[in-house]
Amino acid sequence: MGWILRRIAISLLLIWVVSSIVFLAIHLVPGDPAEVLLSLGGSAPDADSVAALRAQLGLDQPILTQYLHSLSHFVVGDLGDSLSDGTPVMSEALRRLPRTLELIGAAALISTAAGVPAGVAAAVNRGGPLGRCFSALSGLALSTPVFVVGSLLVMIFAQWLRLAPAGGYVAFGEDPLRHLLLLSMPAATIALGLWAQIFRMTRSSLLDVLQRDFIRTARAKGLREHAVIMRHALRNALAPILTVLALNVGSLLGGTVLVEYIFNWPGLSGALVEAVNNRDYPMVVGCIVIISTLFVSLNLLVDIAYGLLDPRVRAR
Amino acid sequence: MRRFPWVSASAVAFLVILALLAPYLALPDPTRMDLAGRFAAPHASHLLGQDEYGRDVLSRLVWGARVSLSVSLGAALLAAVVGVTLGVIGGYLRGGAEFVTLRLTDILLCFPPMLLALLIVTLFGPGARTLIPVLAIVYAPSFARVAYAGALTIRSLDYVTAIEALGAGRPRIMARTILPNIAGPVLVQFSLAVAASMVLEAGLSFLGLGVTPPAPSWGLMIGAARATMSQAPQLLLWPCAALTAAILSINALCDGLRDYVDPQPAARRPTRLADRTAPGLAAPPSRDTVLSLRGLSVAIDTPRGAIQPVRDVSFDIKAGETLALVGESGSGKSLTGLALMGLLPPAARVEAGRAWLDGIEVLDSAPDIVRGLRGDRVAMIFQDPMSSLNPVHRVGDQIAEVILAHRDVGAADARSRAVALLRQVGVPDPPRRAAAYPHEMSGGMCQRVMIGMAVANGPRLLIADEPTTALDVTVQAQVLTLMSDLKRETGVALLFITHNLPVVAEIADRVVVLYAGQVVEQGDAAETFAHPRHPYTKALLGSAPREEGPPPEGIPGSVPSPGELPSGCCFAPRCAMRLAACERPPPLVEIGGGRTSRCIRWSEM
Amino acid sequence: MSAPLVTAEKLGRRFSSGGFLRRRPGVQAVVDLNLSIAPGDIVGLVGESGSGKSTIGRLLLGLIPASAGRVCFDGDDLARASSAQRRRLRKKMQLVFQDPYSSLDPRRTVGRQIADGIVIHGLLPSRQIPARVDALLRQVGLDPSAAGRYPHEFSGGQRQRVALARALATEPVFLVADEPVSALDVSVQAQVLKLFADLRQSLGLAILFISHDLGAVRHLCDRVVVLYLGRVMEEGPVEAVFSRPAHPYTAALMSAAPSLDVARRRHRIVLQGDPPSPLDPPSGCVFRTRCPFAIAACATEAPQLTPVGGSMHRAACIRVGEDTTHRIDDELHRLAFRNNQS
Repeated sequence: MGWILRRIAISLLLIWVVSSIVFLAIHLVPGDPAEVLLSLGGSAPDADSVAALRAQLGLDQPILTQYLHSLSHFVVGDLGDSLSDGTPVMSEALRRLPRTLELIGAAALISTAAGVPAGVAAAVNRGGPLGRCFSALSGLALSTPVFVVGSLLVMIFAQWLRLAPAGGYVAFGEDPLRHLLLLSMPAATIALGLWAQIFRMTRSSLLDVLQRDFIRTARAKGLREHAVIMRHALRNALAPILTVLALNVGSLLGGTVLVEYIFNWPGLSGALVEAVNNRDYPMVVGCIVIISTLFVSLNLLVDIAYGLLDPRVRAR
Repeated sequence: MRRFPWVSASAVAFLVILALLAPYLALPDPTRMDLAGRFAAPHASHLLGQDEYGRDVLSRLVWGARVSLSVSLGAALLAAVVGVTLGVIGGYLRGGAEFVTLRLTDILLCFPPMLLALLIVTLFGPGARTLIPVLAIVYAPSFARVAYAGALTIRSLDYVTAIEALGAGRPRIMARTILPNIAGPVLVQFSLAVAASMVLEAGLSFLGLGVTPPAPSWGLMIGAARATMSQAPQLLLWPCAALTAAILSINALCDGLRDYVDPQPAARRPTRLADRTAPGLAAPPSRDTVLSLRGLSVAIDTPRGAIQPVRDVSFDIKAGETLALVGESGSGKSLTGLALMGLLPPAARVEAGRAWLDGIEVLDSAPDIVRGLRGDRVAMIFQDPMSSLNPVHRVGDQIAEVILAHRDVGAADARSRAVALLRQVGVPDPPRRAAAYPHEMSGGMCQRVMIGMAVANGPRLLIADEPTTALDVTVQAQVLTLMSDLKRETGVALLFITHNLPVVAEIADRVVVLYAGQVVEQGDAAETFAHPRHPYTKALLGSAPREEGPPPEGIPGSVPSPGELPSGCCFAPRCAMRLAACERPPPLVEIGGGRTSRCIRWSEM
Repeated sequence: MSAPLVTAEKLGRRFSSGGFLRRRPGVQAVVDLNLSIAPGDIVGLVGESGSGKSTIGRLLLGLIPASAGRVCFDGDDLARASSAQRRRLRKKMQLVFQDPYSSLDPRRTVGRQIADGIVIHGLLPSRQIPARVDALLRQVGLDPSAAGRYPHEFSGGQRQRVALARALATEPVFLVADEPVSALDVSVQAQVLKLFADLRQSLGLAILFISHDLGAVRHLCDRVVVLYLGRVMEEGPVEAVFSRPAHPYTAALMSAAPSLDVARRRHRIVLQGDPPSPLDPPSGCVFRTRCPFAIAACATEAPQLTPVGGSMHRAACIRVGEDTTHRIDDELHRLAFRNNQS
């Protein structure tokens, strides 16, 4: 179990470094946040209101005090209050986070369920028509940015075919069917690109494993091809697939920013865009820290899964 | 070497030229508004129509390409310079530099790219000028990782040590030796980064946080067209198509480059010849003959035509007998073993020949019949025991698996049988070792496990392909002893494939010497070694160092490659005894005492 | 005998591994090695995998730093040499590798790689370099037209010749050859071994020949050093060591190697088990866990190299003082007899 504890410790350290960097970035960059904030309307702010805001934000304190202050609050889960409506950032974030997670979870589920079998099929029947078809499709899917997919889906399904609403959100408890209907388009948008990644990685990883010596051994044992693929090849091929999934969680989380914006999905990423537009610093910092923490934790989970799949990792 | 990806490369080149030439193309000003012409349909002066402010759509697309490309190329270039520098220094120098590179990239990679970009845009405000450094920071870590991994691999290669031994300085090694050898992956990463920056730039502009209006940008155009998509869907479609096409061509170039710089020959599926009958070869095998092979030829299709690495090989093995198949690299000895197992690599195929295992034809039978024989009546062990065992399964389970595949027993029975087999092949503490993974065992132990797996179902024939080559001398002796013990106890016939003549002298009853895919001599091992009847066998014996006697003599020249075989005797170009008659292919002749030789001068030796 | 060219005194090398938030014990790859090589001498370094033979080669060239003891080349301590001195020493000693595929840079022509050493040390004006490269290629038995070709166009044996030409470019006086023939086909091995012998003859090179192949060592080398787990078990003139091995490990190694000579096969002693992990070597004599002659004292006392007979033949075994050769021969016969019975 030592290796799991070690990974957890490293992850905690990373989260600390990341939040410190976000804090320092906001405070060390030239330009006074208070001044920027007050000049959003276009008029030059007067010195008194700037000073008042600086006091309100604690910007008049020495930087180390500010840092320790926010760090101590961060540890107990307090990320400050939003500048636009005064609500605590943490509670707002926690309200919105599950919706973003739901979106990512649905997308990951769809794309894995469709991507791994497609990749296995393409690797086993190498050069067959099905594999070629999937490969071409994945090439197109990888090249279409997520907001292009989203915009086109809205245009086709909401504007032309009128099969689904253009966007919005209804809690599952209120209207489960409508909730799923509203979820389907943004989830499908994110899933498309991820499907292509998983498909490609499954295919190439399996092709690579099928060349290894131990596959020859498995065949020399007289195992059926099905057993060779499922028991010997796929499990060895899964580790790289997981890595791709983990690396793509980053762009996935980035993708949710655009998808939530397009489909009016009130998740955490949507709140971030809004906060960036409003220069709502505590909200920006809070969102980024939370999403990065999420990212680091997901990577941690993948690392642990990696270790469970491959006994050699545990020994390292 | 694969072909250069010309199609995608020219598509990308077209895009770049279009962007470069934008100011000279006599297009309308992309920012000039014409409120009278809002949503105008395409006509002569506006080929793709006008947008919601009456601006020319085509012009905005072309100028958008210019913005998009300059931002993404600039960002990728900056990221590449910074990332590769960090990565190469970290990977080559190790130590402190390595720590800095790795931790820096670790931390930057904790921010999803979009978030990092949003954070920086929050701090510095939107605009094309900030986008380049922003995107460079986002993508520099991936360059650093690629360069680091490459440098780490290259630095451990002998040619780097060689240039260090020559006294080259570190900057010279990094610039002249490491950098050219990681250029391939870095180039691929570069086109990936260009495509990704393009997507990110468009995404930020789409959100209104990237390129600021009224400058033309594909992302801005898509964002703006969303509001009017019911009136003018074409305004959404054009930039979407432009963006997707641009990224598609860059991605295709990237894939093409990857194949081009990393040439892995694409293996073809086996295409079995229908007319592979071999008339007149079917000598009915005698009763105690376990394996009878007649006229085996293996062909491999290469881009330069088919080659025949195995030609017309025949031999018999009796029960309890050890036949050594001897040859240097390229002699076709391993392919012969794999062909008998029905395990030829996808590129190779059996072109002619028949083989009977216990009276069952194996080369021409349905794959399912051959599969049923593998692991049961015929088993095989390989050169590298560590890589031949599956790293993610326990060794006991891997042995039990072969029993379960061929015998109707329960899982528990199979597992206890596996433990008994481990004991039989001399693995200490079998119950505990059965639960171990291959990486927890030494090479010698792994080879014992492989042998246990091979004899699990009491095979009639065991094919061993260089089973001791990867092992240390003292461990090799243990494994050889184990194999002869097993042969004596079970009466299994052994086909021992090796290049090592002393090992043959130790273990073999009979020997078949292969050269360039052909049998050149075969017979009783002791007889053949004492009185070789082919110049190649004699020269090979003279090449092996002996305890007493003169230093070994080599054979001048090298083995001909299967694509460039001499027309006559294959060994003639290296042979001290060659005559003019050797220009014609010599037959394999019986020379008495159950021996054969493919030399026209065998009697003079 | 002339003054030694390369000497190692109490040389040791420990590799420590470990990382963030963890500690691992180090591997003692080389322990207390004393070695001297005279000009024109070929010394064989014999051992199984993990015996530290490659590490010793790199230590003697100063490519990796020693963690104990020192290496002197021509009287200069490598660790204390100034960088200018080191550059001068660098061109006097060279290295040839086992794997002829990874030892040449695949992206540069053979000629340019051979010229590297000349360019780095500025040994010749650039217009004289092609002629020198031609001469070097001829010296190793290749056609000068090879200079313009890339490594992948050559066979394994030819690549090994190219690597040798590259090493000879700086006119070294000391060569470390790390398993230079073991990746080659048998018929080609003999050619390359012959080339090494010729070069020693014509250039007076001193060579450290690292190998696990006793046959090759026997025919090429003047002296042999037998290693086990980073420690010297036995050393001495090839004739003496091979005809009368004094250490049980040397005897086992020699009898374990398969032989073409039928008569020798009766003397077969098969060591049990695997070499112990260098992470956790046995106490006392490191070979005792596999030694058929081990006694209780072997576990407590680390044996020192002690002279056997004459002419610098030494072995590290506490039982070496007992009537050595007869003992081992008797034991081998007894074991062989027992093996045949079973």
